[in-house]
Amino acid sequence: MDRKKSLPDAKAPDAKRKDPPSTANNTKNQANDTRPNSRAVKRVKFNDARNIRSQPPDAVLEDGRLDLQKFLSAREFEIKALETSMRKCKASNSTRVFQQVPRAMRRRTASHNVKRVPKRLRERAKREQLEDNTPTVEARKRRPRTTRARIRAETAKKLDILAARKRKRRLEKAAADGPAVVKGKGGDVKPTVQSRAPRPKIRRDTLNEPPKIKSKFRKRQQNKTWLPTHVWHAKRATMTEPSKPQWRFAIPITSTEKCYRPTHRASGQKGAVAWDMSYMSTIGLYGSSLGVERVLRALGLTQEGLWAVRGQKWRAGSRKWSGLLSKERKESKRIIGPATIIWNPESAMENTGELSDLKKSQRQLLIRTHPSCFLELFNELLKLVKMQTPRLHIEDLRFEIGSIEVTGPGSTEALLGVLKPYYDKPGTECQADVFKSLAGVTNPASLPKDAFLAFSARDPRLAYPPRQINVPDRNGDPVLLETLTKWPVEKHLAPFGLFSRDTRHTASQLPTQKSINRRKGSSVPGKEVPVTAADPPIPVILLASKSSTAVQAQGTWTLMAPWKCILPIWYSLMRYPLSTGGNPRFGGLDEQRQITFEQNVPWFPGDFPGTDAGLSWELEQRLKRKRDWDRRPRGKRVEWKSLDLGAGRKGEIGDGLACDFEHLFGLPKNNTLGPDDTRNEAVSVDSDAMELDRLDKPQGIQATEDSPKPLSMIKHLTKASFGALAPPTHEKAPRSSIITVTLAFTGRGVVSPCARIYRLPPQKSPMPVLPSTQAEVPATEPPPSTVSGLLPSNLREQWLGKLPAKSSSSAGGKDRQTKKRSSAPPRMPPGADLATRKRLLAASLLTAEPQYPQSSTNQTDVGGHPLCPGEEELIGFVTAGAFSLSEGKGTAIGSVSAEKALETIRGTGAREGHLCVVRNAGESLGWLARWEVV
Amino acid sequence: MVRLKDRYLLVHIIYTDVPAGQAKGSVPDLLLYNQPTTGELRAQHLLKGIRSEVASLFGDCGSGAIDRSLQVKYLSPATSTFILRVSRDHHRLAWAALSFMDHVPVRNGRPCVFRVVRVSGTIRKVEEEAIRRAKLLVLSAKQEMSGKCSDALGALLRGKDQGRSLTTVADQNDDSEMEDVGTSGD
Repeated sequence: MDRKKSLPDAKAPDAKRKDPPSTANNTKNQANDTRPNSRAVKRVKFNDARNIRSQPPDAVLEDGRLDLQKFLSAREFEIKALETSMRKCKASNSTRVFQQVPRAMRRRTASHNVKRVPKRLRERAKREQLEDNTPTVEARKRRPRTTRARIRAETAKKLDILAARKRKRRLEKAAADGPAVVKGKGGDVKPTVQSRAPRPKIRRDTLNEPPKIKSKFRKRQQNKTWLPTHVWHAKRATMTEPSKPQWRFAIPITSTEKCYRPTHRASGQKGAVAWDMSYMSTIGLYGSSLGVERVLRALGLTQEGLWAVRGQKWRAGSRKWSGLLSKERKESKRIIGPATIIWNPESAMENTGELSDLKKSQRQLLIRTHPSCFLELFNELLKLVKMQTPRLHIEDLRFEIGSIEVTGPGSTEALLGVLKPYYDKPGTECQADVFKSLAGVTNPASLPKDAFLAFSARDPRLAYPPRQINVPDRNGDPVLLETLTKWPVEKHLAPFGLFSRDTRHTASQLPTQKSINRRKGSSVPGKEVPVTAADPPIPVILLASKSSTAVQAQGTWTLMAPWKCILPIWYSLMRYPLSTGGNPRFGGLDEQRQITFEQNVPWFPGDFPGTDAGLSWELEQRLKRKRDWDRRPRGKRVEWKSLDLGAGRKGEIGDGLACDFEHLFGLPKNNTLGPDDTRNEAVSVDSDAMELDRLDKPQGIQATEDSPKPLSMIKHLTKASFGALAPPTHEKAPRSSIITVTLAFTGRGVVSPCARIYRLPPQKSPMPVLPSTQAEVPATEPPPSTVSGLLPSNLREQWLGKLPAKSSSSAGGKDRQTKKRSSAPPRMPPGADLATRKRLLAASLLTAEPQYPQSSTNQTDVGGHPLCPGEEELIGFVTAGAFSLSEGKGTAIGSVSAEKALETIRGTGAREGHLCVVRNAGESLGWLARWEVV
Repeated sequence: MVRLKDRYLLVHIIYTDVPAGQAKGSVPDLLLYNQPTTGELRAQHLLKGIRSEVASLFGDCGSGAIDRSLQVKYLSPATSTFILRVSRDHHRLAWAALSFMDHVPVRNGRPCVFRVVRVSGTIRKVEEEAIRRAKLLVLSAKQEMSGKCSDALGALLRGKDQGRSLTTVADQNDDSEMEDVGTSGD
């Protein structure tokens, strides 16, 4: 009996959510009694608010006569009555609580769940629901109906019993030896065995395992790793699907709120956007400086500047390097992916050594790269490191170092508010002082190029919630300007804490939240908790990066800190009250892509299909597009075969759901689609897989790389190497190499990914020139012979005529004239004399093409818009395209064949060679654009 | 969601005769025009009067059309002002009926003129207009008191500010057609 009582009632499983319903149920009878009452009260209130008071006519009359004074008072009374009525109406204009919640929180699902409204409104919401009998309980959800649900409910019950028993036993035990325990807690009893938290093992030259996870969450992280802020994000963002992690992480994709425009604003105009980028991978490289140099050179850091005087600051550890790493393969370079490299400064003692010492000196580097190319880079590094004597070593620091990225005008302010230097006394850490002096910087890009700061911060929980910092209006402050230009960080360069495993480890042992709460409770309210010996310094590195293309675009702060410290920093960052109002927003993968797109910067890996990472991204996207396309009903999806491209061309070029580089370069297709899918998936999973055994047999790696994956033959060509091939030289571009380009439309046009990029069709051979008498008479079109011949011969002029008039001065005008002349018989000029008229009439009669019946649509143009060029002019594909909020029109980023691009530039000159036509997959209309290598 | 759309009419009752027991010329014209209405006039009398007028003008169809939403929101006999609610589609029927009514709809009602001063989509704007007009009247009454001879008819008809047209002003407001009828009484 007793046990039965202790059992949780049947409602226990859903008691978590349904608060008001239970009250509504328990008090149903009572509510039934009260409801009419409350309703009546409400009605009275409502009527009262709507009623406008008025006076009887006697108020105006003085003994039945009109009186001026009374007249006045009557009007005044009326004015007052109407005003009060308006006021009362407004006040009683009843809004439900659910109409008052912030816009971002409004939603239809579960809008009757009081737990969805802010706490201050919760009581009112409960009352309102009670008053108008809002049905909040669904009968079908109250009792477990399915077997699975029943089993879950039973398990929950059992667990509850177990927990209750355990609790009881503990209580009994505490009661039994109560005083002793209390004394033990006091701490004055002799210390028992002191245990040290185990330092995590980091094995050299192999991959490391993800951090040990609490058993409660372990089952959910078997095939992926959670970010340190996973739980926070999972409540607020759409995460990757549990079964389909991205790059072996559960990554927030986008906020559940509507955030496209807010993100644009916060990143450019007002506010800040932050990302938990802990999924970025970090690799440590240790060894002699000469060996390190050799390794880095092999990774593509071959610019002589880096290893000469210009790179001195970088090698000393006061600047970072960011760029694309590559690997050598059979006399050709293949891009791996972008990386940031930081050197650890040498300690002062080592620095005093001789030059010969310098060569032998041991250096440390951090290489921060994208998780999609991590394994490739790691394997490459491992290979290179093994070749060096004396041996170098690499460490996989993926789960040791986490990072947060912040961008936007408020980013510096937010970071200043959250990260407080550990040492109060100025001068202890020079870089911390520099960081503190940055208040007033509204754009991280205004810092010197490749600048970064490394210092120790204190636990942000000590000053939680963060307070707004004093932002001086220092737009033209000479002190700040001097700091920004001089960047005095070289003074006392000391090894960074983040490089040291011990420092990272101690920083990970932050005091518990409980103890911090206790300390807060005992200190004066409103005062920061002082730092004690129990609070370890958190070593952080702050990288300031600016986008390569747009000069005035917002830069980004990247905060690197020990993995375990990311969460408290994140909590504080999200609570920081910006001086411009609001808090920093958070973003997901989509926002990351959006912002890079708006800055016209290619995003890795999506816009780099010439890399292995980009390739697997592209394959993934193809599968996704295919899935989405398959899901659509037959009538509502694009039927690729029946696409009419005009001039008798039918069907989409290549696969409409892919950036079909196989088609462009004539590479072998991946046989049929069915096995292809599985294969692709297998490949992508394989490339992500991190089995350790693969590292032991490099032959295996080689084998997978050499396996005939057609797309992997495509190479990415950097801007520099493409520039080296540009016109003055006559070298040919390497086979099937692509360059990433940004596309700016000259006029209208918005394209989406997979859009086709064409170059302008070449000038057709001039038509047979007719005698001078027929000079201005349109020549008849030569009879169509081939399919491409069906295209109008003046297609190039038609497209050039689409250039806006301003940029194309006289030439464009002429083009347009010729276009007009050739497309239709000319009109009679207004003031033509008889002879000219006769001539024109004769010419129009001679025109072979009959005007009626008109040729079918899309034969010569698409409603006046030029047809898109033929398939032989295809040069590439769009990888990212949309309407760009920063440009106010459509922009796109794509990849084009380097060979064909060079050909065009050499053939037609730089001005017209950069023009292209972009056509959405599945549409027949193309838009004129200008491409630029990035 | 279907929304019931209404129009609110602000109506003044204007008297043209001198009340019984009042010596002619003893009171300013301003007061004569804005006499109080008899206390017998209730909202239902008013509605009944309008309905019967609509029925006689527009027949059963018209009376049926306005029947649904006709309501008196505010009736102040002391200032001879009332606010009427009519459905948006048919508010002109009620307006026409008001124009044709020539006495207060009670037994032995005095001859009067119903002047629609403002038509609006929200009661708020009507109230604001009523306040504005009351203020104007107070001002001109004060002028009267201070001895300056004011233009009583002008004060009565002056719907808008001095600079604007005295007669009909139709605002270019898309939804709430605000119309000011100046001369319906004369």
